[in-house]
Amino acid sequence: MTVAVLCMAAGCQEWEPVIGNQGEPSDAATVTMTPNMTIAQVKELYKGTPYHFEKDIVIGGKIISSDISGNVYRSLYIQDETGAIEVKIGSTGLYNDYKLGQMLYVKCEGLTLGNYGGMLQIGYEDPTGEYETAYIDVKRIIDSHIFKGAKGTPVAPEELSEDVVAAAVKGGYKSPVFGKYVTLKGLTYANEIFVLVYLDSNANKKASGNRLFLSDQQWGIDTWAMSQNKFVEYLDSGVWDLAKIGNSGDYNYGTVADHKEEFRRNASAYSVSQYFKMPGGTEVQIRSSGYAKFSDTRLDQAILDGGKIDVTGILTNYEGAAQFTLIDLDGVRLQ
Amino acid sequence: MIKKLTSAILAALLSAVLMAQAPTGGVKGTVVNRTDKTPVAGATLKLMSGATEIGTVTADAQGNFHLDALPDGMYDLVIDATGFLTSRVNVTVNDGYVKNMFNLSLSPVAVSSVVDDTSFGEFDLDGMGYEDTPTILVDQNDVFNNIAGYNFSSVRFKARGYASESQDVYLAGIKMNDALTGYSPYSLWSGLNEVTRSKTTSIGSEISEYGLGSYNGLQNIYATPSKVRPGTRFSILTNSALYRLRLMGTYAVPENDKGWSYAFSASARLGGNDWIQGVYYRSFAYYAGVEKNWGDVHRLALVSFAAPGVRGAQNASTQEVYDLMGDNMYNSNWGYQNGKVRNARNRITFEPITFLKYDYTPSQQFGISATLLWRTGKNGYTALDWYDAPDPRPDYYRNLPSYFYNENSDFNRLNPAKAAWARDAWENNIADVTHVNWDRLYEVNRNAGGRSKYALEERHVDQNDFNFGTVATWKPRINVTLKAGLNAKRNITEQYKVLNDLLGGDYFLNVDQFAERDYSSSNTMIQNDLDYFFAHGEAQKVKRGDKYGYDYNAHILKGEGWLSGKYTVGGFEAGLGGRIGKTVFWREGLMRKGLFPGLDGNGNPISYQGQVITTYDSEGQVITSKGNSLKVDFLTYAAKLNLAYTFNGGHRVYANAGYSSESPLFNQAFIAPRTRNTMIKDLENVKSLSTDVNYMFANNGYRFRLTGFYTTIEDQTDVMSVYYDLNNSFGNFALRNIDQRHVGMELGFEVPTPLSGLSVVGAFTYGEYVYTSNPTMTATVDNSAEVVYEDLLVPYWKSNPVFRKNASGEYVRGADGTYEVDHYAKHYVPSTPQLATSIGLSYFYNYWFIDADLDYFDKSYLDMNPLYRIDETTAGADKVVTPAEVEYMASQEKFKSAWVLNFSVGKSWYYKRKYQYGFSLNAKNLLNAKDIKTGGFEQTRIVDNTVGKERYYRFDSKYFYMQGFNYMLNLYFRF
Repeated sequence: MTVAVLCMAAGCQEWEPVIGNQGEPSDAATVTMTPNMTIAQVKELYKGTPYHFEKDIVIGGKIISSDISGNVYRSLYIQDETGAIEVKIGSTGLYNDYKLGQMLYVKCEGLTLGNYGGMLQIGYEDPTGEYETAYIDVKRIIDSHIFKGAKGTPVAPEELSEDVVAAAVKGGYKSPVFGKYVTLKGLTYANEIFVLVYLDSNANKKASGNRLFLSDQQWGIDTWAMSQNKFVEYLDSGVWDLAKIGNSGDYNYGTVADHKEEFRRNASAYSVSQYFKMPGGTEVQIRSSGYAKFSDTRLDQAILDGGKIDVTGILTNYEGAAQFTLIDLDGVRLQ
Repeated sequence: MIKKLTSAILAALLSAVLMAQAPTGGVKGTVVNRTDKTPVAGATLKLMSGATEIGTVTADAQGNFHLDALPDGMYDLVIDATGFLTSRVNVTVNDGYVKNMFNLSLSPVAVSSVVDDTSFGEFDLDGMGYEDTPTILVDQNDVFNNIAGYNFSSVRFKARGYASESQDVYLAGIKMNDALTGYSPYSLWSGLNEVTRSKTTSIGSEISEYGLGSYNGLQNIYATPSKVRPGTRFSILTNSALYRLRLMGTYAVPENDKGWSYAFSASARLGGNDWIQGVYYRSFAYYAGVEKNWGDVHRLALVSFAAPGVRGAQNASTQEVYDLMGDNMYNSNWGYQNGKVRNARNRITFEPITFLKYDYTPSQQFGISATLLWRTGKNGYTALDWYDAPDPRPDYYRNLPSYFYNENSDFNRLNPAKAAWARDAWENNIADVTHVNWDRLYEVNRNAGGRSKYALEERHVDQNDFNFGTVATWKPRINVTLKAGLNAKRNITEQYKVLNDLLGGDYFLNVDQFAERDYSSSNTMIQNDLDYFFAHGEAQKVKRGDKYGYDYNAHILKGEGWLSGKYTVGGFEAGLGGRIGKTVFWREGLMRKGLFPGLDGNGNPISYQGQVITTYDSEGQVITSKGNSLKVDFLTYAAKLNLAYTFNGGHRVYANAGYSSESPLFNQAFIAPRTRNTMIKDLENVKSLSTDVNYMFANNGYRFRLTGFYTTIEDQTDVMSVYYDLNNSFGNFALRNIDQRHVGMELGFEVPTPLSGLSVVGAFTYGEYVYTSNPTMTATVDNSAEVVYEDLLVPYWKSNPVFRKNASGEYVRGADGTYEVDHYAKHYVPSTPQLATSIGLSYFYNYWFIDADLDYFDKSYLDMNPLYRIDETTAGADKVVTPAEVEYMASQEKFKSAWVLNFSVGKSWYYKRKYQYGFSLNAKNLLNAKDIKTGGFEQTRIVDNTVGKERYYRFDSKYFYMQGFNYMLNLYFRF
């Protein structure tokens, strides 16, 4: 009786044990929504400045990207019959929650459509104006705008001819093939890279004296990108010693050899664009992140020797050039 | 139940009336000194019936007394003697017989005071269920510690500002402090209050009977069956601050004709509480002991006990989180699974202790006792573990509004709309934002192709602790006592983690994801268990119950001998003691870490696919994860001097001094013990010098103690794991040469009022506990063992400069162009009020007790981290130190002062003179203050990606708060 009295006095909900397994929960319910606009139609809403969705616009598409290798980062690409678009969802480890081939619906009202280097993206308003969109990254915004639909089979890559790629680059950011999951065939290595390295990435990134451009040649970089450790390795090897610091036409800050200790102290991971050519000469930069798990993987010797490859991934556009984002290295096949 | 109570009271009253006929009864006995059982001549014995004095008698030269012509009934016998504490005993006179009390022992107003409350009233509050680990040595005989032990515990008060590790806690003569950390061991017997109640406590630098101790007192808990109060006892308790229910039963049989005594006890502590969701107990305890006495010459006791159970733990959060939740008791450790609350952080313990104690007392002049004690078992603590998936902790800083918007544009957090969304989720308590989302963790795991991305790990610290201790006592003359002791300890503690729950997946991969971030292209460097990888060609797929992550043994060997002597002449006493010993420890790695493979069995470097993977430090030494580290040994020693003079009338003046040199602790000696054998260089002993001067008075119900103390502690070390933002890497900071100084006073008093049974009680302590050195710090990166800083001075550890400003608030530069310092703000030893006071009334009448006290606390400070106090951090990215940066970054937070009001009431009744039952009710924090910080810490992280690139900013600190109004009700039944 005493126990009963005490228990009542105490409030019995306190007796629910909280220190063990509470039983296998079921998956969260997925939704089915009816898009009222296609991705191509949404892209048409962009008129050169960020477009803030104020109407009840719903788009839907299958997820075609994964951040499992870390090369795609904090973003998802979705694709419908009309095109594909990047959704800057802003979380990491997205592949855990968003599966290739799964339907994704975006209730656009309250979000923003913007352009980055020639690619349209759906994100959140950036009040600073630094970028046209910000990451959506607040869980509450994600949960009220982005909805997971039924899982499905992953989308098959669409094979693009060189003409289509060349036309898309000419056509600019509204070209429907940008952002799509595609295969390009017969690429050969162009022995050229592009990397922007900072003397101190904590200092002003725009200052000419803080910038080092490695371009026009390969600079000894034969990996898809470079992790922080790989950066130090390249630095120490001496292959960059003669490279001049500064923006083009402002090489007044000495060479890498002059600042080696400072570079080493502020070492960081860097993205690398490895240049390739399609059979007809159209340039495609395969750009990979220094944080990708495959960043330090060497390009296959056969590729360096001029062997032809087929690549599968997301076709993007950066300042009028075709860029290519690999989902992972399985997207590179030697012919 | 009320009806039953009433009838019981009536029956008790009635029987008392009926028995009051023939006053042939009486009381007799002998008053003796509790410490040495010598008679106390001239003691005054006053017999009370309720508030009425029945008679007074004085003990003769042999300590004998006799009171007769007493009617049957229950009395209180109040015993007073010069130089002894007043004692009060319940006496029941039955059937007109003279009750023989035999020896009534009195505690001297002196050093080692024995707390064995068989001679006290039944209303002790000791270990009633509020505190599982007392922050000070609760000592009922000492007026200050008695009050402070109850009234100051809720703010985690630490006596004289000393860390709890510095309290020596002994059990049956064996030091029980954790061999690796020094932590106070009370949780090993929590729930066994009845059988661990008898204890001896020395304070400060007093020399104890059980060992020399250090500067923060020594408590020995007897824990042998003969020291357990005889009888059968049951209690049922509810406590709104910790757990719903405590059930406790104890059965102790006093020594029978053949010399056997037994004691058994068991308890359960169950349920949650009113204040902190997720804090939950499913804890049990048992005790069994048997003791045999051969003619008071040989005595052998065998005891075994444990407190197994599972306990859900609390976590600290930032003030931003507490404010968003509108609740300073918010606990980020739990979340919903299947709609039910589940805590991720649970302590799972089962650490049985067994000891055999032998006492040989051939004469009054000589005795020796020896104890063999073995502690073993498992101690696990669960936590979420995850691989390449978002941080599942709800109060992760990137989930908070402050991550998206900060008014200070330096932070580059400029999106108020996003901050508003984040705030909305917290303020509306959207559960999958504000709590762990277990359902999602399961879903992720189920869809990850078998490999769990989230799992619950269980970190183990499993001790095997073998101890031997012996103490010999010799009294060559009546006024000389000599003691000699030997102690030896062999501790092997295995630290590892096991997989507790795969959360819906099939396995967890035994790789180091932080190593993978830097060395993703290496197959070997990412391995937690390289030997497994070599044997199987792949990383281990860990299943439930498997060890993974790390695994090593800490080996500790300790031996020491001590001597003490006490000499008394007249009222003068002098005690002198010394101790010398040796401590050896080393690490034994049991898992070969891919980052630090070390050498193979033949002493050769290890290769994989033709490449040497053995790694070396900057001095060319092999970095080793598996096998034995260097064995380091330390000579330890201590000396103490106690002087005292006792005047007639219960006045005593005494002073103590002590010096000790103790070995550093294992846990503060290795830079990253989970992964490698590397130790802090040039480890040194911790030196302490402590003195105190005291005046004490105890007579006629008055009790008073005033103490002044001065202590220095030097050359301490500390090791902490950090995420190092400037390097974007995980690492470790190792601090050396931390010195501190503790100066202060303590006052405790109990003053009877003209109203019988009513006393005014109070405690007051004020001190200055400060850091007196700027330590040096060595920082290393976990993945590479690379040293980022070596013995870097931490210039703002003991204080920070406060710069002079002119009338318009600008910092003033001196003639040499440097900023002028106005003064230096001292930095304080944290997490305890340095000013604590309590004033209260205590009323004791006819088995009622009522206590009320009002407490005030101030001068409590936040624990500091060294990162905020080095030049690189205060300078910021522009490497220019400015006054504003130093003052902002290096200053120490002081907590707000606090008032706390407490009240307690209790009463016990006898039924048929054989059964006793009663209750006690404690109501704490009646003012329901919910904004009293009791502790916390600075996060060892900085905001370094600021816009102006000039300065860095701190991360928000995390805090613990005291619960608001809470109560504890205890009902007990004894016979």
